[in-house]
Amino acid sequence: MQKLGDFKLPPFFNYPPYFTLQPVRETREKQIQLWKELILDYCRTQKIFVIGLEEEFPLFSNTVIERSLTHEARQAFLSALVSEGRAEWLDKVRRKCLILWHRIQDWADIIVNFVKDNGLEDSVMTVEELRSGTESRGTELQGLDRTILLRALKLLEHKGKLAIFKGTSADDEGVKFSI
Amino acid sequence: MRRRPGIAGLQGAAAARDQFRLLGENVAKIRTDLMKEQLATFRSQLEDFALKHKNDIRKNPAFRSQFHEMCAKVGVDPLASNKGFWAELLGIGDFYYELGVQIVEICLGTRPHNGGLINLQELCTLLRHKRKTSREAVSEDDCLRAISKLKVLGSGFEVISVGKKKLVRSVPTELNKDHNEIIELAQGQGYVTVDEVERRLSWTSGRAIDTLETLLDEGFAMIDDGHRDGKRRYWFPCVSSISSTVVTDA
Repeated sequence: MQKLGDFKLPPFFNYPPYFTLQPVRETREKQIQLWKELILDYCRTQKIFVIGLEEEFPLFSNTVIERSLTHEARQAFLSALVSEGRAEWLDKVRRKCLILWHRIQDWADIIVNFVKDNGLEDSVMTVEELRSGTESRGTELQGLDRTILLRALKLLEHKGKLAIFKGTSADDEGVKFSI
Repeated sequence: MRRRPGIAGLQGAAAARDQFRLLGENVAKIRTDLMKEQLATFRSQLEDFALKHKNDIRKNPAFRSQFHEMCAKVGVDPLASNKGFWAELLGIGDFYYELGVQIVEICLGTRPHNGGLINLQELCTLLRHKRKTSREAVSEDDCLRAISKLKVLGSGFEVISVGKKKLVRSVPTELNKDHNEIIELAQGQGYVTVDEVERRLSWTSGRAIDTLETLLDEGFAMIDDGHRDGKRRYWFPCVSSISSTVVTDA
């Protein structure tokens, strides 16, 4: 079994035709399904939040069988994730993609649970503290992508569970919980 | 002077005929009885044999296959009915019905990947994988028997021979000679190119492309444009070994 670091690659990763976008609909659906699962799995275990289509990404090429995904194929697989709400394009030209192995709603739930677990129901924290503070160490929030974190916080703000307020610089936006 | 036939002569002849008939009937009866007795002995011997080697028949695929062969030679089909004494004795019918169901499951499960055409070897590997918990080992012979029983369902389960390999087809698509030849050619490397088909089979490019396109449409083949020589490769998951591992994890 081929590995990328400590990540076990599925066998289809070594089968060359999976690197060419298949023309027949049913075959392509199966192919896209396998790639979607692989991308989400890999990003989840490696804590990767953003994939750049033009950049080097370990899953996009397999040196063992000398195959790599075309731009078209990369876009097809990521678009499939986007249409399921498991990813979002970060720009109009579709060069960067935000990977949501937890949906925004699920991230919001994780934040709420984190707040409850730590008894922070009506405290104030900075956004930066949420993703790198001592409380978040060892939780899923540690090292969370800032864009995703802010999106989840905005969702909670929308529901009236917290208020976001601006600090003096961009780095110290604060959050007042009222859960 | 010749004696003319008299009444006594006629009666004598009739009596002799009767005697012969009686004797003949007796002989026939004795022979049938003997046959019946032999059959009964044979059956009980076969039962004894089956009982005695019950465990071997259940657990040892090679032994099971030989037992089937022996039964076939004497015209007994242990799978003919699930209600017969074979089923009670060996549970052998259930074994094959169970295999049949599992084979159908595997064929359906791998269909998106191979288009409904699967290598018999691969099928067996998957079957063993699926039955990990069961104690009985499964041989290719068992698979073939179970598949032959699936035919009564009329769903188009069929074993086809392509080159040296046996493939199990679980979709109604008929493969013609051209398709078979290409799949056989693909057994070498797992894939073929249009050039290769033209060269090795001495076909025109139209015939090669047409046949490959059909196989592609049916889901039996996948294209690969990624090789650095720029030639499109047509891969056949049903003949390349890597697919066996693909489907188990998929």
